[in-house]
Amino acid sequence: MKISYNWLQEFIGTEKTVEEISKLLTGCGLEVEDIAHYHSIPGGLEGIVIGEVLSAEPHANADKLKVCKVNIGLAEPKHIVCGASNVAAGQKVLVATVGAKVHPTAGEPFEIKKAKIRGELSEGMICAEDELSLGQSHEGILILPAHYEVGKPAAQYFDIYTDHILEIGLTANRGDAASHYGVARDLKALGLNLTLPALPSLSLPNATPVSISIMPESGGLRYSGLLIKNLQIAPSPNWLQHKLKAIGIHPINNVVDITNYMLHTWGQPLHAFDASAIANGNIIVRKAIAGEKFITLDAVERTLKGFECVIADSEKPLALAGLFGGLNSGIQANTKDVFLESAWFDAGTIRKAAKAHGLHTDAGFRFERGTDPNSTLPVLIRAAALIVEIAGGETASSIIDIYPHAEPHREIWFNPKKNNALIGKEIPEETLLQILEGLEITVSQKTNEEWHLLVPPYRVDVTRSIDITEEILRIYGLNQIEMGHEIKSAMTFSNSENSRAIKERMCNWLSHNGFLEIATNSLSKVSYYSEAQLEHAVKLLNPLSQDLEVMRLDFRFSILEAIQYNNNRKNQDLKIFEVGKTYHKNGAAEKLDSYHEQKHMVLAMYGRKYPEAWNQPKTEFTFFSLKGIIEQLLQHIGITGLQFAYETDERFDSAVQILVKKQLIGSFGPLNQKDCKSFDIDKPLWYADLNLEIITKIAAERKFKLKPVSVFPAVRRDLSLELDQTVTYLQLEKIALKTAPNLLKAINVFDVYQGDKIAAGKKSYALSFILQDEEKTLTDQEIEGVMQNLIQNLAKETGANLRG
Amino acid sequence: MKERLEALLNKIESFEIKAIEQTEQFRLQFLSKKGELNDLFEEFKSIPNEYKREIGQKLNVLKNKAQEKFDEANNKFSSDKLKNTKSEIELTLPSEVDFAGSRHPLAIVENEIVEIFKRLGFVYEDGPEIEDDWHNFSALNFPENHPARDMQDTFFIAEEIALRTHTSSVQVRLMENQNPPIRAIMPGRVYRNEAISARANCFFHQIEGIYIDEKVSFADLKQTLFYFVQQLFGNDINVRFRPSYFPFTEPSAEMDISCLLCKGKGCNVCKYTGWLEILGCGMIDPNVLKASNIDPEKYTGFAFGMGIERIAMLKFEVKDLRTYFSNDTRFLKQFESI
Repeated sequence: MKISYNWLQEFIGTEKTVEEISKLLTGCGLEVEDIAHYHSIPGGLEGIVIGEVLSAEPHANADKLKVCKVNIGLAEPKHIVCGASNVAAGQKVLVATVGAKVHPTAGEPFEIKKAKIRGELSEGMICAEDELSLGQSHEGILILPAHYEVGKPAAQYFDIYTDHILEIGLTANRGDAASHYGVARDLKALGLNLTLPALPSLSLPNATPVSISIMPESGGLRYSGLLIKNLQIAPSPNWLQHKLKAIGIHPINNVVDITNYMLHTWGQPLHAFDASAIANGNIIVRKAIAGEKFITLDAVERTLKGFECVIADSEKPLALAGLFGGLNSGIQANTKDVFLESAWFDAGTIRKAAKAHGLHTDAGFRFERGTDPNSTLPVLIRAAALIVEIAGGETASSIIDIYPHAEPHREIWFNPKKNNALIGKEIPEETLLQILEGLEITVSQKTNEEWHLLVPPYRVDVTRSIDITEEILRIYGLNQIEMGHEIKSAMTFSNSENSRAIKERMCNWLSHNGFLEIATNSLSKVSYYSEAQLEHAVKLLNPLSQDLEVMRLDFRFSILEAIQYNNNRKNQDLKIFEVGKTYHKNGAAEKLDSYHEQKHMVLAMYGRKYPEAWNQPKTEFTFFSLKGIIEQLLQHIGITGLQFAYETDERFDSAVQILVKKQLIGSFGPLNQKDCKSFDIDKPLWYADLNLEIITKIAAERKFKLKPVSVFPAVRRDLSLELDQTVTYLQLEKIALKTAPNLLKAINVFDVYQGDKIAAGKKSYALSFILQDEEKTLTDQEIEGVMQNLIQNLAKETGANLRG
Repeated sequence: MKERLEALLNKIESFEIKAIEQTEQFRLQFLSKKGELNDLFEEFKSIPNEYKREIGQKLNVLKNKAQEKFDEANNKFSSDKLKNTKSEIELTLPSEVDFAGSRHPLAIVENEIVEIFKRLGFVYEDGPEIEDDWHNFSALNFPENHPARDMQDTFFIAEEIALRTHTSSVQVRLMENQNPPIRAIMPGRVYRNEAISARANCFFHQIEGIYIDEKVSFADLKQTLFYFVQQLFGNDINVRFRPSYFPFTEPSAEMDISCLLCKGKGCNVCKYTGWLEILGCGMIDPNVLKASNIDPEKYTGFAFGMGIERIAMLKFEVKDLRTYFSNDTRFLKQFESI
């Protein structure tokens, strides 16, 4: 909302600077977001002076330029190179001096600098009309009347209106401050003087050529009106145009400008009808009829829904109440008679209509927030007097004022002690009373504990004692409440903390192991998913675009997008992870418990295993790189004894499921090539999708148990086995553990061989076994026994042969 | 003078440097303050102007030659020093490196904020992103058909179901399920139907905090938040509170901190106000307490909320919101050290 400093000063006098005023306003809840300097001529002709051309000689090196000597009232004339064909000695001209900022009609402002133009010194610019935003003409330089005085600032000779415009970020509760008067009222509460211009006297005939009726439940609460006849529609006087332009309002004609002027001065929206359009002199405030057609002033035909409030005559709607006039009754250039409306409407009704028709008007903005029922009459009188003064004509009716249920002052019981306890400071009674008085809130009665307060109806947001506390605090000053050295605390507990701690532990482990944490959008594309998947999708009714239409169902596309982005920028070789959610719907759209959010941790590895270096191999990530990371990551939060299952999964070319005690906690593997290809990824992408909810739950239930370190030595024995291609390591491991369940502490594969040194269809695994007894030192014989059993069992169950 | 220059050139060229000791000798004789070159430079000052240009150039060439010879010798003998160590390793080769990992800047800031409030005894809480009208609006005292509903552009999923527009919905869930005292910090992702630009995004992250207990005051709120920003930004931070409006708090305020860049003097970043907006806060509206069956006569409380992106922008001088979600590894890797 734009508030003019000049305009404000008409209410509060001039003793405070614009900066001081803006500080006060920000401090009391009307935040000044910006202060802009306003000049009716951009730049205000600053640095532009009147000069006289003493001589204008042709430029030696340029046909079209002239070298001028210009007297600008200094001891020495200035040398200025000028390109205008009409420049000649003896002219009075506008000179932009060195350092002046010139604001042309079109294009960006620029600064005048001392320069050499084709070898000739130029210390300024002789200006054309369009070079100073004085008009559109570029027909040579502007030649001024001869009596203009050399050396005087140009601003003296042009009608420049200047002002400071405060941009106030008005909060939704402060409809009362949506005008210059409303803002001034807050300044009064802060202790400044507020002077209201006297209500003009208006001679009114005792006639009622217009009858007004408000239908019940229409949304109309008060309707005041007046007829003015025989006026002359014309442009507004300069002072009014300047004022409106300064706050960004385009002047239209005197009558419309006056209604706008009143709105921004007093916060009371007015509407002017061409009285000749009102059939039978009847104004009816009623509910719209569903399906009724109505053309608003912008020439758009609107079909009314039935809940809007309309101003109608006995035949047709004339205006969408509080929002927009009708094309059928707007002010025209030839309008002679005007019916002026000053009304009070129900805020909710206006808002609903504004939303339904997408109408955001200055009037609607105020009615939606709630206007003052008591301002309809005085503002009507002020407007009528000004119209008669500016547009001529005469009042042709008495004031007609329909106000079925007068709005009383709101009554609130207020407890000063509670107020002070909530604020946390003992504010003395006198101060409280003083603040209330400044806010026009009266104390009608006092008991021991409480005060009975009467709040004027224009403060629509003050309805409860807590609202009074807010009012007191904002005027008293939030920064006047001291900060102590103690902080009040309390014992509280949360069930979510543990899982957060585990998640953090995992994230930190990954980042310490070279993974970058990424963050992707949880809104994604419909085209990523199949019809069947989309049945369970959480779809937005009002998406920003097709690319952001559904909540993510599967994390892999977020990861693929991130990898593609980096690939395109040559950021290859990636280890990344993210913690986030997927979203599913199972059931009726209207029921909240149909929606499920699931937390995931996803990992991806892509490209080279190590940064390029002289001492690092050039190998790339493999399936086993990812498998190792997953095992270590889970071990880091105490989850061991993982089982793997090898099922098909459309996400992966070959998928491995991770299970803990038969519970599925995630899957990993190479992401399928089809997806990779569509994101221009041509190397294997190792991807894991972990169910973070189950994992944190399992980890939280684990208890750490310290195992004593055995004092007896462990021994290692190796076996090199020739195996059929079909035998898996998992089989060998199971057999070994079954064979020596107590003594076998660890088993490992330290070499894998396939090739021409071994028979076709065969492979060789070299295994190491760590054996240890917790109770005693193992003898060679015992060790030999275990190894023989192992060899036998492996041979029996898998056909393994020892290699020589 | 010319002859002396020639003579010196010969001397410099014929000086043999065979060991490290001789480099020092060379330096002392020619290049040091009391060396022969410097003597010539001193003399140069007093020769007639018309010779200065020619002699000056020659003098400089000579000086450069001497310096080059010295540098070369010096390098040679220093690398000899390396070779003299017992090991066979070429010690100057680049080290063995691995990829640098990092947390996401938003996670870093979120953690920092959560940790500060944990020190004050706040606990962490969590809530869903898909919410009903009740938890996101009605229970938070957003009246039907009130302009307050325009404050947040909402993504709807069904008529009464939407993506939460703020983490304040988690407040409501806590108040419904717990009895005071309630003291929690609630970070999370929120959504707004806003066109994506450098300053706005359709999703972002907030942190909400509440404290409900007997006799909690606005002064308590100020103290807590003051401690928080001092911990986050340093002890020399000043704060300012401005009245504001949020439907769920009354009185409501916004807290500004003194500009981190200009320390309050006024600059580009703070738009010459000296202050930076950092969070919204206020005393929980009695209607909000009542909606969750907490007796507003017995309990009062405060609530505050802030955007994590905004704070991260201030801390790391990120200019464009979209940078956080581009996931460019050249951006992310820089947070390794944080």
